[in-house]
Parts: sequence; C-alpha cells; structure tokens
Amino acid sequence: MSKPTRLRIAGGTVYDPANGGGAGGAGGADGVVRDVCIEGDRIVAELPASAPRLDARGMVVMPGGVDIHAHVAGSSVNHARRLLPEEHAADPMPAPRLDDGAFARSGSGGTVPSTFATGYRYAGLGYTTAMEAAVAPIAARHAHAELDDTPIIDAGFFVLLGNDDYLLRQLGAGEAARARDYAAWLLGTTRAYAIKIVNPGGVEVWKGGGDRRNVSGLDEAVGSSAVTPRKILEALAGAANALGLPHPVHIHCNNLGQPGNAATTLESMKALSGQRAHFTHLQFHSYGGAPGKGWASAAREVIEYVNAHAEVSVDVGQVMFGAATTVTADSPVEHLLYASSGRKWVNVDIELESGCGIVPYAYREKAAVAALQWAVGLELFLLANDPWRVVLSTDHPNGGTFLSYPELIRLLMDRAYRDERLKGVNQKLLAGSALLDGLSREYTLGEIAIITRAGPARLLGLTTKGHLGPGADADVTIYASDPDRAKMFATPRHVIKAGALVVEDGRLRRAPAGRRLAVRPEYDAAVIKDVKRFFDQYACVAFENYGAEPVA
Amino acid sequence: MIDRPVANVTCLGCGCACDDITVVVKQDRIAEARNACALGVAWFGDGTVPAETRVNGRTAPLERALTEAARLLTGATRPLVYLAGDVSCETLREGVAIADRLHAAIDSLAATSATAVLAAQRRGRAGATLGEIRQRADLVVFWAVDPSARYPRYGSRYAVEPRGVAAPQGRKDRTLIAVDVGEALGPADADGRLAIAPADEVDSLEIMRATVQGRTVGEEARFRTAVELARRMTEARYVAIVTDGEPGTPSADPARAEALVTLSQALNAPTRCALSTLRGGGNRSGADAVLTWQTGFPFAVDFARGYPSYQPQAGAAALLGAGEVDAALVIGTPATLPLPVATALARVRSVVIGPRASAATFQPAVAVDAGVAGIHEGGTAFRMDDVPLPLRPSLEGARAALVTVRALRDRLGP
Repeated sequence: MSKPTRLRIAGGTVYDPANGGGAGGAGGADGVVRDVCIEGDRIVAELPASAPRLDARGMVVMPGGVDIHAHVAGSSVNHARRLLPEEHAADPMPAPRLDDGAFARSGSGGTVPSTFATGYRYAGLGYTTAMEAAVAPIAARHAHAELDDTPIIDAGFFVLLGNDDYLLRQLGAGEAARARDYAAWLLGTTRAYAIKIVNPGGVEVWKGGGDRRNVSGLDEAVGSSAVTPRKILEALAGAANALGLPHPVHIHCNNLGQPGNAATTLESMKALSGQRAHFTHLQFHSYGGAPGKGWASAAREVIEYVNAHAEVSVDVGQVMFGAATTVTADSPVEHLLYASSGRKWVNVDIELESGCGIVPYAYREKAAVAALQWAVGLELFLLANDPWRVVLSTDHPNGGTFLSYPELIRLLMDRAYRDERLKGVNQKLLAGSALLDGLSREYTLGEIAIITRAGPARLLGLTTKGHLGPGADADVTIYASDPDRAKMFATPRHVIKAGALVVEDGRLRRAPAGRRLAVRPEYDAAVIKDVKRFFDQYACVAFENYGAEPVA
Repeated sequence: MIDRPVANVTCLGCGCACDDITVVVKQDRIAEARNACALGVAWFGDGTVPAETRVNGRTAPLERALTEAARLLTGATRPLVYLAGDVSCETLREGVAIADRLHAAIDSLAATSATAVLAAQRRGRAGATLGEIRQRADLVVFWAVDPSARYPRYGSRYAVEPRGVAAPQGRKDRTLIAVDVGEALGPADADGRLAIAPADEVDSLEIMRATVQGRTVGEEARFRTAVELARRMTEARYVAIVTDGEPGTPSADPARAEALVTLSQALNAPTRCALSTLRGGGNRSGADAVLTWQTGFPFAVDFARGYPSYQPQAGAAALLGAGEVDAALVIGTPATLPLPVATALARVRSVVIGPRASAATFQPAVAVDAGVAGIHEGGTAFRMDDVPLPLRPSLEGARAALVTVRALRDRLGP
C-alpha cells in the first residue's frame, strides 16, 4: 500500500469557526495563523516536519465550501439544460488540462452547466460539497447518473415528498407511522440524503386540474379535507426528526414569489415550532403586500422570527442581477411566471409524485420586483443574528448561478460597495426596506466562513465537513487575500479535495471523482407490502425497478 | 445455465420501455417474452446474437480489433461518433467521452425526432410523464397518430385503458378523440373523430389555440370541427394530446411541431394539458439525456473546436452526406441506424461496437459484436418520457458493450 499523501498548509490565516477559530459571532474575530496538516484524505493534528509544505503565509485558509441548496443534477435540471442551447453556445468550456495526465472533459456553462462544467466550476470556486435540492423519487436513478458525471464535489440530493400520492394517502388515513416508514424506505431506495417539501399540497392540486390551480393557505384541503399543507409539514418534519436524519426536513413553503407570502412563511414556521426544520430560499418567501395590491419587503418580520427560534434554520436564496433559470418542482408558480413573462416554459407533471416547471429568467436592476427581491435577500443576511442558521445560497440557478457567490460575498462584506449598488436599483418598492435605513453591518471573513461552509455542514449533519479539526475531510480552500472580496472568493489560489490538490495556483489540476452522500434510515418493513399494493394499482414502473439500487 | 424466468425486464422495442416483461429462458435461449407486444417479442427474439470480432472482414482477436479501431479513429481528421440503439446509458456515457477525446462530431438516434426537440427548445413544452397521463387524463386527443402501430402498449399501459387516481374506471372515465390528418389516422376505436386536410393542419392548430385563449376566430367552415374540439378541450379536467415525434407521415414540419407545443401550453390557462410526444425505442431517449447532461445539447453535437457546439442542421446524416467525415464509430445495433446514415457509412472507414455489429450492411473496417442492453447486459435506459429504468439481463455469455467501449476509450489515451 502506498504511503498516504501528506501536506502541511503552512502559515496561513485559518478560519475554522467550528473549532473556535475565527468564529467571532456577530462581532467577528480574525483568523488564527496556524498550520493545517493533511494525511491521505483527512485532516490530522500534526505531521513530521519533513512533510511536504504548501506555503500559505498571508493567505486565507478555510474548509471547502458547502452548498446546502442548488439544482445541479437530475431530470428537472436536464430538462432545463435541453431548453437552453443558446446559453450553452455562448459559454463553451474546453476541457481543462490536468496535471496527472488524466482525461478531462469539455462542456458548456450558462445558468445550467453541463455536469463536468458543474464539478469543475464548483471546485474552481472553492466549493467541495453540494446538495441537489429536488429530485423526484422516480427519477433518482437519473440524478445519480448525473452526479457520477459531476467530478470533484461530494454530492447528495433531497428527495421530493411534499406532494407524493402515497404519502398523502397515508396522511388522509391518519397513518402517521406508515407515512414515516414510507419516507424512510424511500430515502434508502432512492439513495437520497434528506426529505424535501416543495409547496406542500400545491403541486398535487395543480396536477389535479379543474378550477383549483394551487393551494394558498396552510389549512386548505388537498383532496381529502384530512390532508392540508400543515399536515404535510407536520408529518414530514416529524418523520425527519424521528428518523434521526442528519438534515431536518428541507422546506420550500407555499406561495413562493407571491406578495404577502411572509404570512404563510411565518405560519409554516410556527406550525413546526419546537421542531428542527430548514426553510429554504427564504428570500422568495419574505414579501409583504398582498396579491393584486403590490409588494413590499417583509424581511425584518421573517428574520426576527428566525433569530428568536433556534430550531429554525434557513438559506437565503439571494437574487443576483443578471441571467437565471427558474427550475423548480413548484410547477404552478412556473405557470404564473410563464404567463406573466411570455418566456419559454417547460412543465412536466411527474406521475404520483411531483412536478417540474422551468422558465428562463433575468433579474434586472431597473425592474421594481427584481430590485425588491435583491434587497429582501440582503436584508435577511444583514438582520440575521446567528450566522450558523442563515446560509448563503442563490437557489442556483433560480436566483442566480453559484458563480455569483463571490459577488454576493462582496455585497455582504463591503458596505460602501453595497450602498453604491443600491443607488442603481429601482427604488419603487423599497420603501419599507431596512436596506434604505442604512444597514451598516459588514460580514467578517469568519462569518463568511460560517455561512458558506461551517454552518451548512453543521445543518446538513456532515460531521467531517465544514471544519479543519483532526478527522475532518481534507477539503480545504486557500484564498489570496484581496480587499476586493468578489475577486478573492472567485479565484481561490488552491483548493484541496479529499487530500488532492485540485486547484493549484488558480488552475484546475486534478479532477477526482466525488463521493455520494446518502442515508439509509431504519423502518418497519411492513410498509413495503402496502407500497407494493399501491404500485400494483397505480404505478407504471415495476416496484422492483423503482429507486436507484442496482438490480442486476 | 438453469432454465428460469426473469421478471420485471425492461423492453427497448419501442419508447414505451415496458418494464413488466417476464423473459422465460430455456436452454440459453429466450423461449418467451411474457406481456410483450409483437414489437417486443421481435426485439427480444430468441436472444441469440453473433459473437464475431472482425477487422477488414476477417476474424481477429479483440485486442487487435481495438488497436485497429483506436488507430483508425485517432488518425482521422474528421471523426464521427454515432450512438445507435440497444445500448445502456452507461455505455452511451463512454461513447460521448470518446467523441470528446477525439474532438469528433457526435449524433444519435435521438436526432430522428429533431423536429419535436427543436420546437421544444424554441418554446418549451407542457408535458407529463406517461404515468401521470394515466392518472389524470379525462380527454385524450390522438393527433394524427394511432399508437397501436409503433407503440403497441401505449394505450394499455398509459393513456387509455388503465385505472388512474382521477380515472378510477380507466377507459370509461376517458374520452378519446382521433384527429385524422390526411392519411395519418387516429385510433379506430375513438369516441369521436375529425378529419383535417394536411394543408390546413397548422392553421387548425393556431385557430384552436386562439379559441383556447378566447380570441375571436373566423367562422370558416373547414375549421369548425377544430374549433369545437378546442372548446371541448377547455372543458376537460386534464387533456392529453398524443403526437408522434418520430418520422413518417405527417411531415416533420417545424411549424406543426411548434403549434402543437403552443396549443398544449395555452390549454394550461383554462385547464390542464400535457403533450405526449411519442419516441422510438433502443434507448434513444437515453442518448438524448446523456448527451444533454454531458454537453448541454441533445443531439448533433460537434467537439471539433475542443468543446461541444450544437449543429442541429448539420448532424450525422448531413456531415456524412457532404463527405466531411473520414472515420466513424458506431456504438449500438447498426440495423437501428436511420437509412441515410447507414447508406453513407458505406463510404467511410468505420468501427462498430454493439449488438450484431458484424451484420452491418456498410462493411465496417472493425466490427465487434456485443450483447444487447436489456437482454445480455444491465444498466439504465430511459423511457420516451425521460423516466429512467434499470435493465435486467436474462442471458449470459455475450461480450459486454460497456466493457468493450470503455476498453476502446482507454486505448485512446488522455
């Protein structure tokens, strides 16, 4: 057996908030100048002085970035890719030249890059872990195949359950235990990482046809009156917690993008009061006003609730100006966006499980709603008290692509820059926004380390990620310090993934395969008999062929 | 090998990808493919495939064939990779990697439904997986297609017969309308039908869309039944419009494909609607999906510049026809190739790896027979609606296409 690779990252300023370095809280503390030692694919406490050294003096050392919510692989993402040939033509990616002579792949970018481009570009950004946020169970096999072709990053996905026909039947019948067993079985058979809810009940209503197009409130009936968005939230949050999943239920609330939806968001949070739950792309759910009566920011109200409730975590889903592609299981929302924008639109109703909607989009500074969305996201960040529970995300590629994270970091760290940008945006709907009151907060590097790696790793329950203590995965990003934080975070000097130097002097040098992150909770196998009966009645995929396990 | 049945086998005889086939094996042959339709029975056959390895028509060891294949492909100035039928997504992924490595043009069987794909790229689409049509549709409109010919079990498994969540009595809960466009007839047993002259088809679709959108349309007599159908559609709870994406009659008119998309999209304002575009078998939808996720484009990709570029007007048939290609690699069953591609391949040096490669009519320089995905080899295939399904081999012994293609890839070096 060959000796494990050793590397001493020497003399860098280390931000490792999970282990007390650079944690700082809201006040912010500087990093600590120390060495980080790597042996094989792990961080170790010490190495012999003779171990190879990487001189990091004057540089900033952080754990590899962790994306808690992005749309990067699977059938919906591939539908979006297929829809965007013009973007891919405009952003070609030749194969990088790798150091070890390995065969690298070309690809294409745009808002929904090809799989290889996705892996390379995440690594080039210093991110080494990403979670695909929405996979329909029936398409799990597809998502895994794409992740197999997404190099470097460790990845997992969240499986969609909030509009699942079998699950809703169990809730309607009051079979809470069976619903929990089903969720556990489904997680295992699809090799998923967490439970995802998207617009609970709303997609089912949209698919049902007839006069109703969506649900708008937590207590609206979905089919039978025993099933409501509230019941779905309660059941799946309870299941995730009872099963001891590493990540709690991951919730995309009802009424995404609607004026006045902050009330629904707060009601959803209160419905799960006392239970761990993660509320995703909160920005899209923090609007005041009312449908037909205009928009306003309700960021303060929403984030104050989050601040006061330690069981709640969120990611922001910041909107960044420029091109985006909205791709979501929240298909009724995409129909509204299609109708109002006149852009091209994909809808795919997914049998017995979920939906998929896609509309390419662009957020413009001069557009009043886009400017409001941008401001709401920044307010959420700047008014958050606990960075451990408020994660950086753009809901890639919905609010902007992951390549815009460095620009977002600059907006958070550099008040003068932010104020300058604020002057350039449409002010029409910003009247109630805290941004106009001159929010002076500037994120510290320690806080950035929390919201981009330590925090999401902790919320995902990835105990060996997001920190640099002994035993942690050797995923490390090293930045050359630069007062222009966008530049600094866009082009890390070195990136180490599982002990391999994947980015060296700013260039991609190696592209090892990433690992899959998945859970396999225990359940009462009695549920399988019942699920099989359901399959016999309604499914048109054999039970034995369902999921993502190898069959032969 | 012991005689035995293998259950839950996925059939790639057409795009329906029925996964309820029980294959009965007797004495190393397929004796029966239970539940399969006539197309499926023919696709499974008795499971025997040739096991030849040939270089310039003569039997050769595999090593030599792969070396010769690598030499031929790396020496070409304008290589083409073609992803044909009956290979798994796993093998297709290797095929795209080879094209990337060779800076080759690459195309696939997915190009046969280019008209529908391009229309969807311009406008998007309102669709559903087949099972959702089964669950929901109360009005199914067969637009110039009777699936029973090319997609025999479409009606019994998906859109017509089976009971669904919102159609508890199956067929009884659905109304079927056949739209006959010239010679292209809808199903004979439809509950209602209307005939449209081919020259009026696109106009009819546009007028139907106008009707759905509540815009005033003229009272021309020849469009009257189409307008009535449009009104009827708006009154349904969930409409499925079924159309054939594969070539044949009617012609592959881009305006027609786009009009079907926009009509189905417009119907989602007053009600719900999904357009179901039928696609052929052999895992061509897998080729579309794999090429899309690896390159960003679904077919007709060119790596000549060192990155993928999209050449939908200059796919394999056009490149071969123009005499641009000087070497080709076909992965899959050569008999599944579209006729213009197969014909033109006779004029270039080619390598074929796949089921019945040695039976290729165009006399490849290198032919390596392999097993059929889904009969001899496992892996993943995509149904016509992009639902992924596992493949279950029922026979052993044939050379694996995946291993062989990967071996060729390894020989090309980094």
